[in-house]
Amino acid sequence: MSDRNENTNAHEGPDQRFVGLLAQFEDPHTLVAACDAARQAGYVKMDAYTPFPVHGIDPAIGIRRTILPFIVLAIAFGGCFAGLAMQFYVNNDISTLGLFPGYEFKISGKPYFSLPANIPVTFEVIVLSSAFATFLGMWALNGLPRLANPLHRISRFKRVTNDKFFLMIEDKDEHFDRSRTEGELKEWGASFIEECNEDLTDHKLPAWVRTAGVMVAFLCLLPPLVVFRMSGMTNRAPRMHVVPDMDWQHKNKTQTVSPNFAPIGTPDYLFADGRAMRAPIPGTIARGNLVDDSEYFYGVQEGSPIAVVPKSGLFTGTNAVEQDDPPAAPADGAAAAKELDWVTTFPDRVTVDEALLQKGRERFEVYCSVCHGYSGNGDGLVNQRALALAASGNSAWTAAKSLHDPEVKNNDKNPVGRIFDTISNGRSSMGPYKDQISIDDRWAIVAYVKALQSTGIEPESTVADAKAKE
Amino acid sequence: MHHAREAKITSPITTLKDSSAKMVPICFIVGVIGIIAAFFLLRVNDEGFTLTDIGRFSYSYLTSFCYILTICLGCLFFVTILHLTRAGWGVTVRRVAELYAACLFPLLILFLPIVIPVLLGSDAVYSWNQVGWSVHGEEKAAVVAAADHLPPLEELKEGYLNWWFFPLRTLIYFSVWGMMSWFFLRTSLKQDQTGDKSLSLKMQAWSAPLMIMFAATITFASFDYEMSLAPLWFSTMFPVYIFAGAFLSALATITLTCLMLQRSGRVTDEITIEHYHDLAKLMFAFVFFWGYIAFSQFMLIWYANIPEETFWFAWRINSETGSWTGWQLMSLVLLFGHLIIPFLGLMARTVRRSKPFLFFASIYILVVHWIDHYWIIMPQAFEHHEFTFTGLQMFGDIACAVGLIGLFLAIFFLISGDKPLVPLKDPRLGECLNHHNP
Repeated sequence: MSDRNENTNAHEGPDQRFVGLLAQFEDPHTLVAACDAARQAGYVKMDAYTPFPVHGIDPAIGIRRTILPFIVLAIAFGGCFAGLAMQFYVNNDISTLGLFPGYEFKISGKPYFSLPANIPVTFEVIVLSSAFATFLGMWALNGLPRLANPLHRISRFKRVTNDKFFLMIEDKDEHFDRSRTEGELKEWGASFIEECNEDLTDHKLPAWVRTAGVMVAFLCLLPPLVVFRMSGMTNRAPRMHVVPDMDWQHKNKTQTVSPNFAPIGTPDYLFADGRAMRAPIPGTIARGNLVDDSEYFYGVQEGSPIAVVPKSGLFTGTNAVEQDDPPAAPADGAAAAKELDWVTTFPDRVTVDEALLQKGRERFEVYCSVCHGYSGNGDGLVNQRALALAASGNSAWTAAKSLHDPEVKNNDKNPVGRIFDTISNGRSSMGPYKDQISIDDRWAIVAYVKALQSTGIEPESTVADAKAKE
Repeated sequence: MHHAREAKITSPITTLKDSSAKMVPICFIVGVIGIIAAFFLLRVNDEGFTLTDIGRFSYSYLTSFCYILTICLGCLFFVTILHLTRAGWGVTVRRVAELYAACLFPLLILFLPIVIPVLLGSDAVYSWNQVGWSVHGEEKAAVVAAADHLPPLEELKEGYLNWWFFPLRTLIYFSVWGMMSWFFLRTSLKQDQTGDKSLSLKMQAWSAPLMIMFAATITFASFDYEMSLAPLWFSTMFPVYIFAGAFLSALATITLTCLMLQRSGRVTDEITIEHYHDLAKLMFAFVFFWGYIAFSQFMLIWYANIPEETFWFAWRINSETGSWTGWQLMSLVLLFGHLIIPFLGLMARTVRRSKPFLFFASIYILVVHWIDHYWIIMPQAFEHHEFTFTGLQMFGDIACAVGLIGLFLAIFFLISGDKPLVPLKDPRLGECLNHHNP
């Protein structure tokens, strides 16, 4: 084996370049001593190769401490900042800064940005970024990846992973002199000394590798092309379920039977009443259902009884909380309405401004104008058609009120609270709208109705009367 | 190039023989003066001097006692884990830890001022120690509201927290610790004489079951001594928190002791910068471990937001008036002083290999760790858990700490006496002396 080595290394031709001398040592102590001696002799460009870490070899060979820890520290600080910033961004609406907003997603009632909740993620980002910085930084500082090293051409060097120790002194070193260095290495205890040559033959990839690469790259394009093609086609096959337990979750849906896996009476028996749905825990209120402001929620003064729609039919369950024990609930809602203490101004939570009126107009035109008409005259399309049908005797219809009717317009009889209540719970033949229109939107409509009424449009009947008089 | 050192003790002085006879009375006198000073200083309250109220002093005494107890427990853990892991690097610093751990059983004497009132039925410190005890105020309300389908928690806990079981457990804990530390010290001293290698194997074999006993006792001791001060509060992470602080302060104590011994010309050859470097690395790790556990305990309770758990932290980090409270400031002192500053400070290799810096860092950690125990124990001492703090009481707390440390050091010097400060014939002595950090 060694003979063949000698032969290949002795061969110096135009396709080889001399790189340096590789000395083999039999034990780590000799190697460390040789490194020490080489450093003192003035060699700089050299490196030691050992099967395991050898204590004391770094100072012997004159290697300065790595700057890697500082790189890692800097990147870890960056990761800390990035982790916090990421959470700040995704949990907060920062559209005011002219950026895309994040998701204001309330979790466990915690603030959108609160340090205790964000530290675990920040910590993990620090760990991740430090690990990457360590790994990639080590590669970068060592000049990796390196596909070929001339040392691997020496077969004796293979035992560096087993039981031999090597010192390589490079030709580039200013102090290097081939015959003198060889003598010095021998003197320091080297058992073998070999020349290390770099292979200068053509490094280009073989043509077939390049062709194969192009073909593989081309084949890689096929899957996206197929996906693109399929996205525009119809297909009768049932869809694939990539994540089945996400598509069919083990969860109880509303109005289903409670799955009971344990026998009745045992502690593990789930929901003895056999229902999957649970009543709220007594004394608790679901998020967003706290009714603590009668002016805003009912349009009545604080302490006044609220207008309660008598329980009838299907829809009475929707506001069960307020209807379970109605305070002095009158049998006739209309009769009682007069006694109620309506608010005459907008509640504190509602700010009347142009934006609110714009919103009110939009909602009014969606929900109200079909009967009451765009200008509130009571000439909406539904009303016109129903009146026509009623005139032909095919149906009965109570005409929608004109909002400009003096009775309706009268602020004493119809303060904002009463209008709010009318929209919420309906009045005579008008139905309730509290299930369709949110509270904020109802107040916006009230504001818009008040604005409409103050435009001075005369109700049609008055105009007609005046014309008749003429 | 390093030359292998011979496995031989070469320092001229390896015992405290020359100074312990002098140090024992000094430490004892300082200790007695400190305790007496604290005893009187801590009885001055708003109404002037009072002789009837022993509570404030007892809390302060308990703070400093738990501080010293956990240091010794950390040293015991250090000895046990060195044997358990067959560690070679720590042989020369092990004896110091063995000597500190050997103080554990005598510490029972210093715990008597807490145990005897409990036996006599006093509820001055442990509010559960009275017939039909109950807890008032927000704590009670929170717990009762959350668990009205159960019998009162007081009834449930009465079987564990009562006048006879608590002292009995104390006796068990101290017996276990005393037995453990005595076993390690005695076997190690015997090896000093004979150099018998089988003694190392014996200690190694015993270290595993003893480690389990150590874990069990420190867990329940931290429940009993510190957590039961708020008897309705519970946190299963609390013992780990106490343990993290215990090992951290023990490492600081070992480092500081070795530095002082070497400064006074003892064991100069056996403990090298490599050993300090390793101690400092562990210290660095446990600074962060302490923070990790402290934060985990806090974050889980904060996030779950269940009233029967949160009140304990509410006393420490909430302010009812909106202005800063003393406990809030102390919480911040812990966050920065006990975690962030030492973490960044001990991060660099060069500072971990610098003796002057480690001297400072050990003292620093020991001081902030005393604040940690103060923060755990003291909020229970004040009415409405408010931070009411006068200059006299501050001096009282410090005098109490100095006094107890004095008495503790008297015990330490009494025990260490003529014993060698490094193992003389440990089979791993050569490995330890030739230990090098990469």
